[in-house]
Amino acid sequence: MIKNFLISEKEFISIMKSCLNKNNKKITTVENRINIALAGNPNVGKSVIFNQLTGLSQTIGNWPGKTVERMEGHLKFLGHYINIVDLPGIYSLSTYSLEEIVSREYIASDELDIIINVVDATNLERNLFLTFQLLELKIPIIIAVNQMDILRKRNKEINFEYFESIFKVPVIPVVAVHGIGVHQLLEEAIELIYQQEFHPHQKEHKLKSRTHHHQSFKMKQVYEQLKSQSSFKKIFNFPDLSSLLSFGKEVEEKIELLTTSLENKTENMVKNQYPSRFLALKIIENDKEIKNLILEEGHYSEIIKISGEYRKELEDYHGEDISTIISSEIYLNINKILDEILIIKSKKDTKKETLTDMFDHITTHSIWGYVILALILIGIYLFTFIIGDFVGGKIDELYVNLSININTDSIIAKILWEGALGGFFSAVGSVLVYVIPFFLMIEILQDSGYLPRAAFLLDKFMHVLGVHGKTIITMILGFGCNVPACAGCRIMETEREKKISVALTSLVPCAATMVVVMGLVGEYLGLGYVGILFIINFLVIILVGRILNKTMPGECTELIMEMHEYRKPNTKVIMKQTWKRSREFILKSLPIIIIIGISLEVMYIFSLLDPVNFILSPITVFCLGLPAVTGVFLIYGILRKELTFALLEVLAISIGVGSVSFLLSPIQMFVFSLVTMLYIPCFTTIIMIAKQTNWKYALQISLLEITIAIIIGTLINWGYVLIISV
Amino acid sequence: MDIIDKKSIMNNNNNNSLTKCLGECEIGDELEVIKVDAGGSATQRLASLGIVPGVKIIKSRSAPFNGPIEIIVKGTKIVLGRGLVSKIIVSCNNSCNL
Ligand SMILES: Nc1nc2c(ncn2[C@@H]2O[C@H](COP(=O)(O)OP(=O)(O)O)[C@@H](O)[C@H]2O)c(=O)[nH]1
Ligand SMILES: [Mg+2]
Repeated sequence: MIKNFLISEKEFISIMKSCLNKNNKKITTVENRINIALAGNPNVGKSVIFNQLTGLSQTIGNWPGKTVERMEGHLKFLGHYINIVDLPGIYSLSTYSLEEIVSREYIASDELDIIINVVDATNLERNLFLTFQLLELKIPIIIAVNQMDILRKRNKEINFEYFESIFKVPVIPVVAVHGIGVHQLLEEAIELIYQQEFHPHQKEHKLKSRTHHHQSFKMKQVYEQLKSQSSFKKIFNFPDLSSLLSFGKEVEEKIELLTTSLENKTENMVKNQYPSRFLALKIIENDKEIKNLILEEGHYSEIIKISGEYRKELEDYHGEDISTIISSEIYLNINKILDEILIIKSKKDTKKETLTDMFDHITTHSIWGYVILALILIGIYLFTFIIGDFVGGKIDELYVNLSININTDSIIAKILWEGALGGFFSAVGSVLVYVIPFFLMIEILQDSGYLPRAAFLLDKFMHVLGVHGKTIITMILGFGCNVPACAGCRIMETEREKKISVALTSLVPCAATMVVVMGLVGEYLGLGYVGILFIINFLVIILVGRILNKTMPGECTELIMEMHEYRKPNTKVIMKQTWKRSREFILKSLPIIIIIGISLEVMYIFSLLDPVNFILSPITVFCLGLPAVTGVFLIYGILRKELTFALLEVLAISIGVGSVSFLLSPIQMFVFSLVTMLYIPCFTTIIMIAKQTNWKYALQISLLEITIAIIIGTLINWGYVLIISV
Repeated sequence: MDIIDKKSIMNNNNNNSLTKCLGECEIGDELEVIKVDAGGSATQRLASLGIVPGVKIIKSRSAPFNGPIEIIVKGTKIVLGRGLVSKIIVSCNNSCNL
C-alpha cells in the first residue's frame, strides 16, 4: 500500500524539484530522510532492535563535546532513508547523568523526527515513568513494548487496544530477539509522518482512507518542509493527553500557572524547542540546565523567582523533596492505568525459585560469591593462556619450518624476512592468539549480566579507594582493553569518582599486557610468578586509590544500580562483539608491529639503537638491572604494551638466538614484565583518560605510574642482587 | 490528590508497625517506604527508580562486610550503597523484631 503511494510521491518530488529549482541533493535529504531515536531504560532491548534494523551499517561516534557514545545506523525502508540513533539507556529526563542530558538534548533538537520508546513489558510500571516524561515533550512517539515473549511465558498479556486508546499513540508488541514487530515500528513511523496524527481504533477504516489522505497531505508537507526547512515534528498534531498526564490538584495548579506565564512571553526561543508545560515542570523541579537555558534569554528572572516560591509551597505542604513529589504523581498516574493494561491470565505462583535466582543466590553469597569471582577471573586467564599457548606453538612451528627454506644473506632480505615477517608472526603467534580468546571471555562475562554482582560484592571495598562498586565493572572490562574500559568510566556520577575510576582502570593489566606477562613470566618462570606479579599490581592499584582518595577533595557518592537478571549469553551477539574488537586490534596493532619490526631491524643493522638505549640506561640498566636494549622497547611499549614483548621476540629471531630466554635472565624477565604492567597507560588510554578528565590529569597519572613502576622495579632488582650476594 | 496520606502513616505507626531505617530491617522483610532523605540528586535518582514514599519494597539481600543492600522495587532489583540505606525510612508491618 505504501509502495503504491511512493510512485506518485516520486513523481511529485520530481515536479517539486523542477518547480523550486533547488539542487538535487538538498531535496533528497529533506524529502524522505527520517530521523528516528530509540529511547528507553537500560537493558530493555534498544540495542537488539537497533541491530535488527540497521545490521552492519552502523557508525559509532561521540556526542558533540561529550564523552557519551553515539550509535547511529542507517537503512532504506519502503523507499525511505531512515537514520536511527540508539540513545543511551536512561530512567528519566532529569539531568542526573550525562546520558540523560545528551538524550534530552537530542530528542528536543530539530534533527529528530520520531522517538521509538522501547519499554520492557515485564516491567511496565518503571518503564512508563520515562514514557510519561517523553510524552510531555510532545514529539511524535511510538511505544515499542518489547520482551513480550517473557511476559507471555509468565502468563500475562497486555491490552494493546486499551493501551493505544489512552496514550493515543501507536503501541506495538515486539519480541526483539526474534525480530517480531521490529519492522512494524518503522512502518508505523512512516505512517505517522504521512498521517500527521494518530488515529487509534480505526484499523480497517484507516487502511482505506489513508492512501487518499496521504497524497494530499504529503504534497502539502513536503512543500512546506522545502519552504520552511522546519522538521516534521513541528507540524505534527500531537494528541491531547492532558487527562493522562495531569497531576494532583496542588501541583497541577502551580504548573498551569507557570505554563501560562511562560506562554505569554512572546520572545521565547526555548519555547520553540520545548513545550511550555515541559519547561514549567522542569523549572519547578529546579532543573539547572533548563533554568540556565531560560535565564540566558533574559526577562525570566521573575518566573524563576515565582517557581521557587511554588516549589517551597509544595515541599512544605507535602513534606517531601520536589523531585519526590513530582515522581510520586507520575507513578500515581501510571498505577491508575496499569491494572487495565496488564492482564494477568493465571495467578500461578511466579515466585518459584528459578535457575537464575539460584545462580544469583550463589554468586552474591558472602563466601561463595568471592570464590566464584576469583575463579572467574583466574579461569579467564587460564583459558586464554591454554588456548593461546597451543595455537601460538603451532604458529611458531610454521615460522621455523618456513625459515629453514629461506636464505637471508642479503641485507634487504634480512630486513624483510626478519623484520616484517618476524614481526607478523610474533604479532599473530604471540599476541593475537591470546587477545582473541580473551576478548571472547570478557564478552561472555559482560553479556551474561554477571558484572553487577561483582559491583555488589565489592562496593564496600571500593569505598576504601574512594569510589563505589560500579568502578569494579570498568576495571574488569579493563582486563580486556583499558581504552573502552576508561571510556566506560563515564557512568560514574561525579567528577571526582570519574577521575579515580579512570586511574584505577588504567592500572588493570589489559590483554596486551597479559601477552607480555604470559609470554615471558608464564612461559619461562611458571604461573606462580604470574600470580606474584598480579598481587603486586593489585597492591599498586590499592596504593594509587588510597593516594587519590586522600589527596582529592570531596567524598565518594553512594551506589545506586539496577541488578539486571542473568541471561543466557547470546552466541551471535558475543561472536559479533568479539570480532568487532579483535578486528580493531588487528587493524591497529598488526601494521604497527610490522612497521616497527622493520624499523627496529634497520636501526639494529646500522647500530642506531645504542644512543637511545644509552640515555635510558641509568634507569634500565642501573636501577632495573635490565639489558640496555630494553630501553627502546619500553619506549615503543607506550604505543602498545604488547610491543615490548613482540619486539623482544623479533630481536631474538634477528640475532639468531631464537628464544627470548637467551636475552633475559629470569629475574630480568620478572622485572621487565612488572615494569611493562605498571609503567604507563598505553598511548590510546592516556588520550582516553584526557578525554574523560583533562590532559593535566592524564599526564599526572602517567607520571605517578612511571614513578611507582621504577621504584618497585628497582626495589625488586636490588633486593634480588642483595639476596644473591649474601 | 495527596501523594502520601500522612494520617494513614501515623495510624500505621500506632497499629503495631515500626518505623526504622532500611538498614535495620531483616532480609526478606516487606516494607513500605515512609521517607527518602538522601539529598538532592540521589533523591531524584531514587524517585525515578520508583523509590518514593508509599511504595512497597522487599529487602532481598545484603552484601557481606556491611556492604550495600539489594531491594526489590516494582519487580526490579536495585542495589543501594550502605550510606543511602540509613537515609531511607521504612515501616514494616510484620516479621520485624528490633
Ligand atoms: N527474551 C527476550 N530477550 C530480549 C528481548 N529483547 C532484548 N532482549 C535481551 O535483553 C538484553 C538487553 O538488550 P539490549 O538491547 O542490550 O538492551 P539496551 O540496554 O536497551 O540496549 C539482551 O541480553 C537481549 O538479548 C526480547 O524481546 N525477548
Ligand atoms: Mg544498548
